[in-house]
Amino acid sequence: MDDQGCPRCKTTKYRNPSLKLMVNVCGHTLCENCVEMLFVRGSGNCVQCDTPLRKSNFRVQLFEDPTVDKEVEIRKKVLKIYNKRDFDFPSLREYNDYLEQVEDIVFNLTNNIDVENTKLRMEQYQRENRDIIQKNKAKLTREQEELEELLLLEQQGNEQRRLEALQEEQRQLQAKKKNKQALLDELEQSQLPATILLAQHKVRAAQLETQIEQQKQAVKPTNLFSTGIQMRQTVSLQPVPRIEEVLYHYKPLQVETYGPRVPELEQLGRLGTHGDSSTTGDLSWTQPSSETGELS
Amino acid sequence: MKLNIEGLLVYFPYDYIYPEQYSYMLELKRTLDAKGHGVLEMPSGTGKTISLLSLIVAYQRAFPLDVTKLIYCSRTVPEIEKVVEELRKLMEFYAKETGERNNFLALALSSRKNLCIHPEVSSLRFGKEVDGKCHSLTASYIRAQRHVNPNQPVCRFYEEFDAVGRQVPLPAGIYNLDDLKDFGRRKGWCPYYLARYAILHANIVVYSYHYLLDPKIADLVSKELAKKSVVVFDEAHNIDNVCIDSMSVNITRRTLDRCQNNVDTLQNTIQKIKETDAAKLREEYRRLVEGLKEANVARETDIYLSNPVLPDEILKEAVPGTIRTAEHFVGFLRRFLEYLKSRLRVHHVVQESAPQFLKDIFDKVCIDRKPLRFCAERLQSLLRTLEIADIADFSAVTLISNFATLVSTYSQGFTIIIEPFEDRTPTIANPVLHFSCMDPSIAIKPVFQRFQSVIITSGTLSPLDIYPRILDFRPVTMASFTMTLARTCLCPLIVGRGNDQVALSSKFETREDFAVIRNYGNLLLEMSAVVPDGIVAFFTSYVYMENIVASWYEQGILENIQRNKLIFIETQDAAETSMALEKYQEACENGRGAILLSVARGKVSEGIDFVHHFGRAVIMFGVPYVYTQSRILKARLEYLRDQFQIRENDFLTFDAMRHAAQCVGRAIRGKTDYGLMIFADKRYARADKRGKLPRWIQEHINDGSLNLTVDETVQLSKHFLRQMAQPFRQEDQLGLSLLTLEQLESEEMLQKITQIAHQT
Repeated sequence: MDDQGCPRCKTTKYRNPSLKLMVNVCGHTLCENCVEMLFVRGSGNCVQCDTPLRKSNFRVQLFEDPTVDKEVEIRKKVLKIYNKRDFDFPSLREYNDYLEQVEDIVFNLTNNIDVENTKLRMEQYQRENRDIIQKNKAKLTREQEELEELLLLEQQGNEQRRLEALQEEQRQLQAKKKNKQALLDELEQSQLPATILLAQHKVRAAQLETQIEQQKQAVKPTNLFSTGIQMRQTVSLQPVPRIEEVLYHYKPLQVETYGPRVPELEQLGRLGTHGDSSTTGDLSWTQPSSETGELS
Repeated sequence: MKLNIEGLLVYFPYDYIYPEQYSYMLELKRTLDAKGHGVLEMPSGTGKTISLLSLIVAYQRAFPLDVTKLIYCSRTVPEIEKVVEELRKLMEFYAKETGERNNFLALALSSRKNLCIHPEVSSLRFGKEVDGKCHSLTASYIRAQRHVNPNQPVCRFYEEFDAVGRQVPLPAGIYNLDDLKDFGRRKGWCPYYLARYAILHANIVVYSYHYLLDPKIADLVSKELAKKSVVVFDEAHNIDNVCIDSMSVNITRRTLDRCQNNVDTLQNTIQKIKETDAAKLREEYRRLVEGLKEANVARETDIYLSNPVLPDEILKEAVPGTIRTAEHFVGFLRRFLEYLKSRLRVHHVVQESAPQFLKDIFDKVCIDRKPLRFCAERLQSLLRTLEIADIADFSAVTLISNFATLVSTYSQGFTIIIEPFEDRTPTIANPVLHFSCMDPSIAIKPVFQRFQSVIITSGTLSPLDIYPRILDFRPVTMASFTMTLARTCLCPLIVGRGNDQVALSSKFETREDFAVIRNYGNLLLEMSAVVPDGIVAFFTSYVYMENIVASWYEQGILENIQRNKLIFIETQDAAETSMALEKYQEACENGRGAILLSVARGKVSEGIDFVHHFGRAVIMFGVPYVYTQSRILKARLEYLRDQFQIRENDFLTFDAMRHAAQCVGRAIRGKTDYGLMIFADKRYARADKRGKLPRWIQEHINDGSLNLTVDETVQLSKHFLRQMAQPFRQEDQLGLSLLTLEQLESEEMLQKITQIAHQT
């Protein structure tokens, strides 16, 4: 974004790294200094397109392309009015048509096509649908709700993990403290020589250490695959057991072909080829190649 | 020989068979019987490929209705060619034994670059260029234009294929890439499209992983493969990384700039078309209103392999109104692009989840989740409508739209990391947005769901149970086979100390330690005096190797080594490396002896075999852990812990050990081969590391070889090498590790064989 600059004073980001570019409703950029200078009185005309502008409407340019800034601005405004949700429509098709209509309005406003009419249309829509607009103001779309939910879950998960880690740490600290205290007590009361006590303590500390280490590594075992099958289930190597009970009885289909006898499926499967290969073809090796057309 | 594998007649094209091959086939047959998936580990050089092929081909012949196709996935073109050659041998054996020509069609498929025979196109150097050029000659609308304007250049091979080739099926036989090209030249047909068309009715297809795992390519090539196929992933120890790479997206500033150009071109083209041919846009619009029903019907009736980039709900719904017309869609892309640009302008590292990203994008530029989800599909439709000849140019915008679809489809399993600069160069701004997949099961899921049996096999898959966990599937067989040996031809040694009792380790704290580096040097020096011909040494990273070699040079160790053997070094440059390899082989060949210094996870460690005298010893300096500070890796580890209950350390060790095993496995490529495997790091002696080595290596590590000094290592090596240098004939192997049919059928041997497979 180094090569971007103010169209009026020609300063660029490269020359002045602290340059702040601003954009107003018409989508033309000016740097902060120029805005201060030109709009001392609070309003004025755009240098490039002569649209009357207010100083208070200048925003910091977020994107490289100022028209995108402008479009987003307009879009937010439009979406405030056109805030019907998918459940306001009887079918998805109508909802999509509606979305396209909204998109048209935004497109027209951004590209200055037929602005007057579009604005009129918007006003009319606003008048007609006042109730729905009011009602939907607070509602989120279903997708947004889902998103919020996911975010919430994620946060909870993180929080829980943090708490668990904290608790774990606390417990270890306590165990260590207790161990130390025990040593002091023993040194005070026991009749055994101190060297032996110290050696005992050392062993105990090492044990504790390994125990903690093990605990750290022991993660909650889940023993379920996502398919719902136990993880360490002994997998039998036998072919899948056949279900014995008679569920369905297959009756061969009788079709009158008025032609030569059709070879049995069994025969085809075992032998691969049938005697009369010109008519039946080789069912197993070359599948009938259907016309699939161009792949890419 | 003809084998009887649990009632199945298997033709095996050799006179002798290894017992583990028989055992392998048994397990394989059971997997196919159960119509389930399997994980099988068998050491390299024991004839995995031929066992797989002969069993599955026999199965196909016996039950043509149950298994219609074998899809054999391998990694590189040479490996693909090797498989086809084995297959050819097998088919010749069939022809000889049964006395009839069977109508079996098997073929290899590779990219256009390897298959093109068009004189101009095939002379291009890069795969992308070839693809682009080919597309500009063969796209349907280009060919349609030719009817109007006969001067429009088209590919005559494709034209010929389209006119004639589609009606005539490829005659039965075995085709490798060259055979396909020859056939194409003879007939004047395009071999690439011929192969792609022929895989639909071929009995065996051999191609690269990406044709199944990469959703973009799989959608083009493998979509219509029959459900009753057996899929084999050979050399699959890295399959999780392949899956992850195929779903991850990296976006840099340059991608965005190129994307900007793409969007501008799109807009101009739309403008132009609107003036000349508005009906076309209207037609597209009408289709989009109707929805993507066609693909949905096809998927439901099981004709198509599903595509993770194209989630099911999209197919059921029509494209949302916001991006239905072409102009609105371009505006949408523009906004999305500007948003990404503004995100890339950060000054600190950002890590966020997909929902956070979606919320932010809605707040900033009012883009909903739903149109984002349709983005990839909508762009494809637009590109088709606009008849853009050179798709390759539009790779940037395609990438962005794929990213949009993925980020809005998967709320879990992905993370977004934006780094303003690389860790090593914090002053140079080079912002990258990593959209990284953390769950390999997403990419491979359609494969497991669609195909009846999927076999994952490699020489190094230990520990076996981790693969089903990270790929999230349920295998019916998991087995690891050991090598039966007439003599112990591999000798794994763990060197833990130098002669001065300094502990050897590549851990971070002792990286710069001169004592360790000197002892490593000593080890190499001593070994170079003892081992004949070639030695391959692996380091944990390029940086580490450079440091060590520089320091050896200063200490004069290199000079001493060079008295014994020549030294060659692998570098990051592919041409340099292949040169070094060639010279290394020459030096081994003429008796001068050579040492190749290379890097674990590098090119040499993955694809190149050092048979016989090319690798008499492999020395692994250090444990090849990945760079653990990378944020992508950290995010993945966290995900593994939370979702799959795999501990960070476990995974890191597993990953390091599979690479170590790959490296040392380079030396033993068969039963007559022999080699030393020296693990020079004291951490290898620990049970958690050792236990993750493949069983066929673990078996030969005894307690006496766990914590050796350099001197002891030399003593043991001398002893081992002297033993191995004794003449070794085939008769010595017979009956033990090499069986004739009679021996195989003896009661005693069958008993033994059942013990080879190690079930987990």
